[in-house]
Amino acid sequence: MPEAVAMLNITKTFPGVVANKGVNLVVQRGEIRAIVGENGAGKTTLMRILYGLERADSGTIRVKGQEVRIPNARVAIALGIGMVHQHFKLVPSYTLAQNIVLGVEPRRGPFVDHERALREVHELSARYGLTVNGEKKVSDASVGEQQRAEVVKALYRGADILILDEPTSVLTDMETDELFIMLRRLAADGKTILFISHKLREVLEVSDNTTVMRGGRVVGTVKTAETSDRELAEMMIGRETVEVPLREEPAQVGRRVLELEGVNVYDSRGIPAVREANLVIRSGEVVGIAGVEGNGQVELAEAITGLQPIACGRIRLEGREIQNRSTRQIRQAGVAHIPSDRNSTGVALEAQVWENLIAVDYHAPPYSGMLVLAINRILSYAKDVVTRFGVQTPSLKSPTRNLSGGNVQRLVVARELGSNRARVVVASQPTRGIDIAGTEAIRRMLLEYARRGAGVLLISADLDEVLALSDRVMVMYKGRLVDAGRVDETIRQRVGRLMTGAEP
Amino acid sequence: MSSKVHLKGLLIGVVMQAANYALILIMALVVGAAVILVSGKNPVDAYIALFRGALGSPIKIADTLDRSSVLILTGLAAAVAFRTSVWNLGLEGQLYAGAFASAWVGFSIHGLPSPIHITLCLLAGTLVGGLWGLPAILLKLRWDVNEVVSTLMLNYIAILFTAYLVAFPFRSPTAFMPGTETLDATARLPRLMIPGSVLNIGFLIALALAFLIFWFLYRTKLGYELRMVGFNPQFAGYAGMPVRRSSFLAMIFSGALAGLGGAVVITGFFGRFISSFSVGYGWDGMVISLLAQNHPLGVIPAAIFYAALANGALAMQSATGVPQALVVTVKGTIMFFVTVQFFIAFLNRRLRQWMPSTP
Repeated sequence: MPEAVAMLNITKTFPGVVANKGVNLVVQRGEIRAIVGENGAGKTTLMRILYGLERADSGTIRVKGQEVRIPNARVAIALGIGMVHQHFKLVPSYTLAQNIVLGVEPRRGPFVDHERALREVHELSARYGLTVNGEKKVSDASVGEQQRAEVVKALYRGADILILDEPTSVLTDMETDELFIMLRRLAADGKTILFISHKLREVLEVSDNTTVMRGGRVVGTVKTAETSDRELAEMMIGRETVEVPLREEPAQVGRRVLELEGVNVYDSRGIPAVREANLVIRSGEVVGIAGVEGNGQVELAEAITGLQPIACGRIRLEGREIQNRSTRQIRQAGVAHIPSDRNSTGVALEAQVWENLIAVDYHAPPYSGMLVLAINRILSYAKDVVTRFGVQTPSLKSPTRNLSGGNVQRLVVARELGSNRARVVVASQPTRGIDIAGTEAIRRMLLEYARRGAGVLLISADLDEVLALSDRVMVMYKGRLVDAGRVDETIRQRVGRLMTGAEP
Repeated sequence: MSSKVHLKGLLIGVVMQAANYALILIMALVVGAAVILVSGKNPVDAYIALFRGALGSPIKIADTLDRSSVLILTGLAAAVAFRTSVWNLGLEGQLYAGAFASAWVGFSIHGLPSPIHITLCLLAGTLVGGLWGLPAILLKLRWDVNEVVSTLMLNYIAILFTAYLVAFPFRSPTAFMPGTETLDATARLPRLMIPGSVLNIGFLIALALAFLIFWFLYRTKLGYELRMVGFNPQFAGYAGMPVRRSSFLAMIFSGALAGLGGAVVITGFFGRFISSFSVGYGWDGMVISLLAQNHPLGVIPAAIFYAALANGALAMQSATGVPQALVVTVKGTIMFFVTVQFFIAFLNRRLRQWMPSTP
């Protein structure tokens, strides 16, 4: 079959991150190609380059055999490329048909020919079995119907290469089945489908070939019929065996410091994000939570630390219930929290270094009295933790914005662990985007903290990190916590299976 | 951590700021001069007249300082709110509400010793100004109503309602313009010993408050919370700070300072409440705060500068015929260059060329 798209040796860097490194991707006409990988593997960037939303630093793109440059989406559309984004781009107050023809409306004289638009939309959707009621308003249409309208919109503009970014993440199981039937029909009709996902079962069900990406590179491309979810998961998370763990000796576990019992959390849209989570951490223990991001990890961490309300369930810190207490009360009781996004949550970038260092402890003696901050005492404490935790800063009064990412993270860790008060540390992605020396240092600090008798809950998308630091591993999938057991030779396989939704 | 590096950085910062403001001022005066030239007058004469009118004699200087009192207070009001990322655009309304309240205490209570009467007047203005911020912040905290809109609307309510009060129920029969009766002598702020000038202790009160607010924001727990919430509310909440309480206090304090500004200008300068007495004291306060980069001590020079421009403009108009509205052009040009941070970027580039070692 003739080649539809070829992306050759594509490299794309963002400030501080290499999103694509020498990526090659060749897709034939009529093929359904799945592109899988963890968050941050570079899938979406690659597709945005193809659709003209990003420009590659180097590399060539061929579409239908012709070498092309795609500076913007308009060129991509002219080349017959269509993209359905993860978040739809529809005008809510317009009907589906109006959205589909938006910008390329059929005209009668100076006016939009609504009848013809509706007819054409109907014909096009009927041809591929896409049930789209063109007269319905977007705000009244279901998510699945909106997605179908997005597909029809691309087809209406003459697309024969369709990119779908995580199309199933918003769909119910039934809608997903319908989507797959539609994709097969489109492929049978000679359309080429590029399908981004991290749900391996769906990939196995619908695609012809699967390309696996990790860390900005293509790990490999396999015929879907000849692979298994296990093989794909291993490719996604890396084949390396457990490296010599950073842990020198098994933990001396003591009494229970943190217990979660049937915890349920709803996200801001009212959708369950954490379902019936049970968890026990003992003193001296590191419990790792692995899993593809977006499966409820953020909500779990925020629920424990009082940033999100808990719908039902109990959380006990050393036996005392702390669920739905204020963040300050929970912190006072002995919970430290390293948040997953240091720049938007972990610090105030405009504030000075010392102001960030004291943000948790400032309100009580010895750092303040009734009213006034004890600035000198705070500064000498800040000086002490900056030295102990190796925060590189020109001065305690420098704006935090001037620090490098690794040093901002060290500052966060220094604030959370520096006072030695915490009984439980909730660490979310503690080393994300940090250089090797910083990563090493922060991991050692966490282990040292556990060794001295605290419990550590380590939430990380980096499986190697979870395996290197944890005594026990749990996997989060669709809001549920599943125990993967102790770290041993077969842990990687077990975690890989659980991460993709397999039963324990 | 070397303190030498820090000192060097601090010095560069101070020099940069000074150079920045100097360049802004020069640019604004050049733009103003161009406008004067186009209107066929001599810009040098006009600027000399402006300078003389603002600072040409001890009395002129004292009058400029007097005019700055209310501007310092509204500037502080803006600084407290803006530092907390509470966008209180209702200073003008809070100023009117506070001004009327203090006037009422001033003319309707009699026979008190002066210090007590004055204190009551100022307290009434402070209290009512703060209360005038209350609906906006409650709506924001309860229903997420944008305070920009609600405070702007409250301005109209305060300005027009006080206008009604002095046009009907409280109108003084002897007054030429709609206004209240004059305040009792015991309610008037005592003049400072500068013969011929209206300068009074209102200026000292404003200065003291600038230092008090500075101390509050940078040395107290509450002030620290306000600033952290202003920098990044998500961070403040994550660290366990009372984010909502901070927004609430920032709005109330801001309104209280604006209300006190109204009280000071009534008891110190006008001596009674006159409808539409304010020539934009509240609005100028916001601009002054921005000019001072929301720093309480920076508000003092910024307010004095604004007062000098206003007093100088009057003198310029009567001496040279250049309309005082020209000063609006100068002010506008200054604000333009302050907000776009044009010169800061320029100076940064230049400094890097001169001193390649500076990070």
